[in-house]
Amino acid sequence: MFKKLIAESAAKSPWLFHINAGSCNGCDIELVSVLTPRYDAERLGFKLAGSPRHADIVVVTGPVTTQSLPRVLRAISQVPEPRCIVTMGSCPQSGNVFRGSYSVAGPLSKYVHVDVDVAGCAPKPEAVIDGLALATKILKEKRGR
Amino acid sequence: MSIILSALQYLGYILIFPGFLFCFLGGMLLCGIDRKIVAKMQKRVGPPVLQPFYDFFKLCGKETIVPAAAAKTTFLMAPLVGLAALVVIQLFIPVFHFSAFSGMADIIVILYLLLIPALSIIIGGAASGSPYAGVGLSREMVTVIACELPLVLVLLAVAKTVGSALGTGLCFSLTEIAAYQAANGSLILRASMIPAALAFLLVIPGETGNHPFDAAEAETEICEGMLAEYSGPPLAVYKLSHAIKMLTLTSLFVALFLGGIGGKIVNILALLGLTGGAAGALGVLLGAVVLFLLCALITIVCISLVHAATARLKIEQIFKYYWTVVSALALMSLVLAWYGL
Amino acid sequence: MDFPFIKEAISQLFSKSSCAMYPAAESPAAPNYRGRIVYHPDRCIACGMCERVCSGNAITRRVEKTDEGDKITLTFNLGSCTFCATCADFCSRNAIEFTGDYHMVATKEEDLLVSGSFIKKPPAKKPAPAAKPQAAPAEAPKETPACAVVPREDGKPVSDPSKCVYCTLCAKKCPAGAIEVDRAAKTWALDEEKCVACGTCAEVCPKKCIIM
Repeated sequence: MFKKLIAESAAKSPWLFHINAGSCNGCDIELVSVLTPRYDAERLGFKLAGSPRHADIVVVTGPVTTQSLPRVLRAISQVPEPRCIVTMGSCPQSGNVFRGSYSVAGPLSKYVHVDVDVAGCAPKPEAVIDGLALATKILKEKRGR
Repeated sequence: MSIILSALQYLGYILIFPGFLFCFLGGMLLCGIDRKIVAKMQKRVGPPVLQPFYDFFKLCGKETIVPAAAAKTTFLMAPLVGLAALVVIQLFIPVFHFSAFSGMADIIVILYLLLIPALSIIIGGAASGSPYAGVGLSREMVTVIACELPLVLVLLAVAKTVGSALGTGLCFSLTEIAAYQAANGSLILRASMIPAALAFLLVIPGETGNHPFDAAEAETEICEGMLAEYSGPPLAVYKLSHAIKMLTLTSLFVALFLGGIGGKIVNILALLGLTGGAAGALGVLLGAVVLFLLCALITIVCISLVHAATARLKIEQIFKYYWTVVSALALMSLVLAWYGL
Repeated sequence: MDFPFIKEAISQLFSKSSCAMYPAAESPAAPNYRGRIVYHPDRCIACGMCERVCSGNAITRRVEKTDEGDKITLTFNLGSCTFCATCADFCSRNAIEFTGDYHMVATKEEDLLVSGSFIKKPPAKKPAPAAKPQAAPAEAPKETPACAVVPREDGKPVSDPSKCVYCTLCAKKCPAGAIEVDRAAKTWALDEEKCVACGTCAEVCPKKCIIM
């Protein structure tokens, strides 16, 4: 019964941690605009956590540059289980216009298992809310295991 | 037999009211009300009032990661020490005329017990071995020192007022302060106590570490400061202590300055024709409800309103603010009380 | 320490929130929003222009030889697309359309691929002119004026040098960049590897001197 209580609560309070892996900041602006009074993701329980150890969902923006790759991987490894990784925008999914550059280490799915992709350049805040809601559902399934 | 009964009664006090369960429910509800009201002031919908409960249970279900550089036992035990100290403080604060343990302790005990939750978070941060925690805990130490001075002055002012009225010099016992207010009306209605009440209202967000005085736990600057390495159930206990501290400080304010309402409750119950044992139980229940509503009102005024209207202060600005403006207000009240006004 | 926003804070406490309550409330995209791509394979001529101008290398083309002709499949990878709409601008047949659908959330990479295919039949073989050239004008007055060139069998364009004025319009409009025209030297050359027989040069020629 306690497990059910925890699972129900976890679906209503997923905390986000945002990593910028070399992004142009377009997707970052759309992500923080989700937390402003216009779209207000906090009514669904989302909160931006300051430390990766506090987070459930990790949102990664930007093509993963070679300089940021070890740091991104270290930050993701600090997120406690169960966790969900969401890539935002087309850059971490495939590199977009930066693919093949000398400083881009490739799509994030080469290094960690990515759960949700939110495509767009940059995705609309409503699409980001959709992606986060899907990530919450996936978290619930992960917890059920 | 009676020993067992009284032991059970005291256990009930510790675990249910005004102990652990009351603190848990009341503190979390206050925290939820604060977040909701701040959201409404920022023209958005905000999380549901029960959101802190969801946060707490979710954190209980996450895994606990202990960093390799951390001192493990201290890291895991520190949050529990802070929580225990806060529940003990709440046990000592009278709920209008009902006092579970207030006969055993007075304001001085509460004053030094209030230091323990802040110390526990400092020690927890130090035990985690993270440089962010180091920055956070040095800021927290400065905040604690800043808030101590006006707090002591306010408590002295209240003690002197009640003491000189009762003829005993300085009266530190909370039960006697509550009884005095029940008989003679709230202390806040006296003109000399208003600066002290205002100073205490300004000390509350500093002590709880709420915006704009949360330089110690600044989220974006230093990755949550002292809590940077915590995850899972210990983090849940820290968030719970933060919520209970709000309840403790606001109920202390009610006990010190708004105690006259207790007398009104007794009058209402007498009007309804209830006396004796039944009046005792119903009076306690009514007292608890009224206490919670007053705490909510005070939270809205001094925590949420200040949160929504200001930006975060730097640590030296916090220190300067508390040791000049707020201390001056408290000192004014102390001087007026000393001259018997 | 002053409190600059106290008035707004208190007044907003009692006013309505300015949230757009998504996902409970519908939220359509602005007009001309460049969202999910819709590809119309029936209009496509496989000139390859979109593939060349795509900034994110999101378009791939696969050609399979079947009995009826070439089965050409174009795939648009939305996970690599920048939504700049350059492909739609350059498509001369408007086969690429950007809709207002912004819900592009996927758990598998396959969900982000938009593809379509069509069969490109080889052009019908034109019969070789049987009669002598001087008899042609009298027999078929409605046909295009007599030209001194014969159409090719593979359908690629051929230019009539007697009519061509070397205005270079065909070279400019060719999506494949397969035509080279030199005004000074009065030469017209076709790069057969690049040409995709889309017919744009024949359409734009002001003198109608190109036949496919």
